[in-house]
Amino acid sequence: MKSLNSRRTRAIVVAIAAGSLALTGCSENKGGSSGKDSKEDQSKAAEQSKAVVYADAAASTGPAEEVAGAKSGGTVQVYQESGLTHLDPGQIYVSDAGQVANLLYRGLTNFEEDGKGNVSVVGDLATDSGKSSDGGKTWTYTLKDGVKDQNGNVITSADIRHTIERQYAAFIFDGPTYLQTWLSGPKYRDTLKDGGFGSKHLPATILDTPDAKTVVFHFDTARPDLPQTLAMPGYSVVPEKTDTKEKYDAAPVSTGPYKIAEYKVGKSMKLVKNENWDPKTDSVRHQYVDGFNFDFGVTESTQTSRLIADQGESKNAIQLTGGVEATQIQKVISDAAVNKRTIKGYQPYVMTLTFNLDRVKNKAVRDAITYGINSKSLIAGEGGAYGGDPAANLFAPTLPGYEASYDPYGRLKTPQGNIAKAKELLKDVPAAEKKLVYAYSNSEAGQKRKVAIEDALTKIGIDVVAKEVDSASYYEQIGKVKNPYDMYVTGWGQDWPSPGTVITPIYDGDQVADGSANYSHINDPKVQELIKKALTQEPTAAAVTWREAQHYILEKVNPAAPLWYTKQFQLYGSNIGGARYSTESSYIDITRLFLKS
Amino acid sequence: MFQFILRRTVGAVVTLFLIGATTFFLFVAAPSDYASLACGKDCSPARLEDIRQALGLNLPIAQQFWDFMSGIVTGRDFPQGHCSAPCLGQSFYYNDMVWNLIKDRFPLTLSLTIGALVVFLVLGLGAGMLSAYKRGSLVDKISTGASMVLSSFQIYFLGPIALIVFVYSTGWMEDPKYVPFTEDPVGWLVGLSIPMVVMATIFTAQYTRMARASMIEQLAEEHVRTARAKGMSQKYVFFRYAWRGSLIPIVTVLGIDISALLGGGVVTEITFSLQGIGRLAVDGAVQKDLPLTMGIMLFGAFFILILNILTDIVYAYIDPRVRLS
Repeated sequence: MKSLNSRRTRAIVVAIAAGSLALTGCSENKGGSSGKDSKEDQSKAAEQSKAVVYADAAASTGPAEEVAGAKSGGTVQVYQESGLTHLDPGQIYVSDAGQVANLLYRGLTNFEEDGKGNVSVVGDLATDSGKSSDGGKTWTYTLKDGVKDQNGNVITSADIRHTIERQYAAFIFDGPTYLQTWLSGPKYRDTLKDGGFGSKHLPATILDTPDAKTVVFHFDTARPDLPQTLAMPGYSVVPEKTDTKEKYDAAPVSTGPYKIAEYKVGKSMKLVKNENWDPKTDSVRHQYVDGFNFDFGVTESTQTSRLIADQGESKNAIQLTGGVEATQIQKVISDAAVNKRTIKGYQPYVMTLTFNLDRVKNKAVRDAITYGINSKSLIAGEGGAYGGDPAANLFAPTLPGYEASYDPYGRLKTPQGNIAKAKELLKDVPAAEKKLVYAYSNSEAGQKRKVAIEDALTKIGIDVVAKEVDSASYYEQIGKVKNPYDMYVTGWGQDWPSPGTVITPIYDGDQVADGSANYSHINDPKVQELIKKALTQEPTAAAVTWREAQHYILEKVNPAAPLWYTKQFQLYGSNIGGARYSTESSYIDITRLFLKS
Repeated sequence: MFQFILRRTVGAVVTLFLIGATTFFLFVAAPSDYASLACGKDCSPARLEDIRQALGLNLPIAQQFWDFMSGIVTGRDFPQGHCSAPCLGQSFYYNDMVWNLIKDRFPLTLSLTIGALVVFLVLGLGAGMLSAYKRGSLVDKISTGASMVLSSFQIYFLGPIALIVFVYSTGWMEDPKYVPFTEDPVGWLVGLSIPMVVMATIFTAQYTRMARASMIEQLAEEHVRTARAKGMSQKYVFFRYAWRGSLIPIVTVLGIDISALLGGGVVTEITFSLQGIGRLAVDGAVQKDLPLTMGIMLFGAFFILILNILTDIVYAYIDPRVRLS
């Protein structure tokens, strides 16, 4: 699940397939985002969605390519509003912890970027991105020589086995579940209740470690996405000898270039160099600075003010996953010296007005709202063109399969809402069906959205009953199948560069359950059929199926009105070198930073 | 005096117990299920049951209450490990013991409180006394006028202005931060000086007015007039006779204000992005982290009671009639 409120991480961008992105239509997408920077964002979307490559051993060998002008030494200051919910790799699924994980942990694979939009999956602990056989049902990984944890213990295939098996344990509840489900089915926990901590292990027919350096995954169906799945921080290695179960979350062991020197939960964290990290084994990460000081509890407003002022230690500071606060965007872009210290790009999230199909059964009503909603006023609340662009469909510009010109409801031509068309659709709809309960989060953003949505829908003749929902439990409340709401704003982004991590969790009828991300409760046989088909196809063929699925969902069912594509806009201090946008994380690339002086 | 202190202490312990009991029953016995909040996204019924058992939520309320109260004195065991006394429970949002979190955050809040206290006592009482001493003079007019204006300001207004002026625009000072006093006293003072002064500003204004009024009242008392009639100097009368009497109402309010300072820390800490108890309390409330919220409430209550006892002692020292009562 990668909902926006929890800032699900990892992955982003990239397109698989050939021809999946016809971004030639980008220039059409002007609504609410005119201006030079916005056009640059559009063209960058093309870069962000280049095809991902599964790299070979040569590309997986370290050290990583030098960053131009890089120097060693100093400490990077990191500002973040909220503390990290987890440090145990098995529990990591969100952006902030994912960023930190890239400094601390290594998995079998990782994403590597060249700054020009080219993204590849390389071997991290493994010698390459993986070798598939048996039609994609079997994947074999060989571990690199000389990879050690912070205590100097060599990482072996037993550690990889342990890492996978502990994901079955009850105390791991917040991490990704893809791999476990693929290996052992939806009720995977029942198959290894003690998470491999006892005498029982996964059979060799599922997970085999024939020697200390080899790991073999056996699936019952082709899993072409496995190299990308394994690059999720949630599958980073937890060395067996050091595993302390629940306590590991507060004191994990590093395998990356940095290790934890001090951690005060929710308050601060200091990272220092991990002397047992060998750059020759790592083709992605650098170790230019001596360490990182994380300050949690620094609001986005304060982060922005400090970084604009660029005084003292703020010169060495970055925003981890926070962005420039909406009210200070103009201040940033109007000052060339400050604007020079920013990174921008599309995030993987598409915000939608999701309909509860159990309650809003009339498609004419859903279509009318989709035509009539005002994306421009919603985006204004997000900081304007720097906060987002009007969304034409359900795929983000960063997603493989994104079609910029696919706009079945004319959202790009009339981002402020096609009121006439909406009224026409609602002409014969009984009044009772035009009275809808809209749930909104009681956060600042939620309040702004409520005003914009209420205003737009009232104009087309919908009687909106707005219900405030506590922001902390917003997704929990709307995630209940029997929720009392007709529509709500939700956001979703991919877990790795494949529409399968969007269509499946949000529109798969098998996943209609309390707490599921299928907030619309869509359960359509045709969609189910297409999902099943695409998940077993190779990327190029799957892209065609995913595209068909999106068209069907949006046009024939319409479970969610596309509202806007979210954008990232971050600021960093003047002494930070090597800063660039990571299309993979959708934040500043934290692995290559250095201090200029 | 000993009996007086003993009486107040016993009263405080009983009050604390009652607060603890009330807090516990309000939070735990209320129809809320904080196990489900702790459970996470992949929350199976089995895991929910595990959490309930781990937190003792399956036990009778009386047993839970006993475990909670006795844990404060003896400690408790949780899945995350042993929670040493004073055990205030386990925060599921932070995955840490509540007492550890409080212990880690309290020095900052205490620093802010003490710093602000010193600033407003020195400046506020000083200005107030001076105004009373030079009643009707230009100094008095300026002092009274300034205190009227400043007392209407708020931390969330003054704080950002102070940051813009002293940090972001001029670069005269760095962003406020907490450095433990034991590590670097100068760094401690410099790092917290802006929030301390901002926090103290409103109180300074109030104490200026209060000290002035109290002193003027004392100067009009018969025993002061008698002292003057005996030919004692103005300074001697001021400090020997009026000063002590003028402190009585101030000390009474001071105890309450220190409590308010601790509470006012919430706004200060958020304004200056500092991680103290106030911020922790807000996080606990936002995350519906009931053990954390309960722990902070109890801890806050404990300090308010301590302050009340200290206030009573100081009050009794200044005014011996209190001891007799």
